[in-house]
Amino acid sequence: MESIYGEHLPKLEEIRLEMENRISKIREEIRENVGMDTIEHCLSRIKSEESMREKCRRKHLPETAESALKIIHDAIGFRIVCAFVDDVYTIRDRLTAFEDCKIIKEKDYIRHAKSNGYRSYHMILQVRGAYYVEFQLRTISMDTWAALEHHLKYKKEIKNEELIIQELKRCADELASTDITMQTIRDMILE
Amino acid sequence: MKLLFAEDTHDLSRAVCAVLAHEGYEVDTAFDGEEAADLIHKNGYDAIVLDIMMPKKNGIEVLKELRESNIVTPVLLLTAKSEIDDRVTGLDAGADDYLTKPFAMKELLARLRAMTRRRTQYQGGDLTYKDLMLKETNFELSSENSVRLSIKEFELLRTLLMNAERALSSSYLLEQIWNEEPEASEDTLWLYISYLNRKLSAVASSVKILGSRGESYQLVSEE
Repeated sequence: MESIYGEHLPKLEEIRLEMENRISKIREEIRENVGMDTIEHCLSRIKSEESMREKCRRKHLPETAESALKIIHDAIGFRIVCAFVDDVYTIRDRLTAFEDCKIIKEKDYIRHAKSNGYRSYHMILQVRGAYYVEFQLRTISMDTWAALEHHLKYKKEIKNEELIIQELKRCADELASTDITMQTIRDMILE
Repeated sequence: MKLLFAEDTHDLSRAVCAVLAHEGYEVDTAFDGEEAADLIHKNGYDAIVLDIMMPKKNGIEVLKELRESNIVTPVLLLTAKSEIDDRVTGLDAGADDYLTKPFAMKELLARLRAMTRRRTQYQGGDLTYKDLMLKETNFELSSENSVRLSIKEFELLRTLLMNAERALSSSYLLEQIWNEEPEASEDTLWLYISYLNRKLSAVASSVKILGSRGESYQLVSEE
């Protein structure tokens, strides 16, 4: 079977690498200027054939390159995990400053957490008028929370589901509070 | 609502308890101070009435003991008319109110109502101010978003909220919140004010705390 990305796969890979390099450069630059690493880790991927087809079906779209590259915007995806809350916004500002990229969509789930407690900064950039890249930016503790919540989503038949959802929300709110506390402490140290 | 009525005169106790039960209170009785103390440690009460003059242990001793073990149940003391010193000692030892004997039954009932009303309002109440809500039960601070506060942050914000728009001095706040911790300083307070300000803005509230290190602080809304 032909790839859902058609002939575009090498190009997608090229853009993923280009973005990865740009992020490494930003990271290096900040490290030289501030003496601290803002990015804890950065992961990127091309959405697998299988999940892209599954997503098309879920959205009632034909399984074509057009759907995968033009309508769906997360064929290329980045997750950037930062040390502190302010770092998330520093990196966001650097990404939005790319001159050959256009912001298609921004969702700040840090300022407005989802009702289950999920926090992250989501952004879709369009590169040189063609390909789309999705970025998820968050702190280490937001990432930890999301990892645990992910397990819950894929485990069926959970006992006391209501209670667990409520407790996860509490954890998210406590972690968010701690994130801010640590940010304040860092500010005070750097003052 | 559950009460403890501690009074060594059996006739008085019987008469009062009959009226209290009629008013819908669930009443336990004690006839001396030791019995009262035992019951208080064993059971939870919504309010306690203690006669000062009781055998084995007087009312003030019982009161001091229960406050020392951090029991905050409202206490009404029954005192003899002439004993001003008893009343002062009793209030200082942590009583919420007193009534002199002989008393009118309807005054006792009114004082019990007032005392338990204060308690429920104080304990169960969520504090709200402008677009902000602070939950007493779980320390949740919320506006458009929500976070959980630590105990000290909660106590500090609660004090500021209960005195919203009024300037409170650093020394007053330190005394209120860090009373047991002499090592806490103006810097400690300033750090906690900074935490709270960042958390207020993280929940996207219009409320913030004005003031600078070592001076007075004032909670206001920019709405």
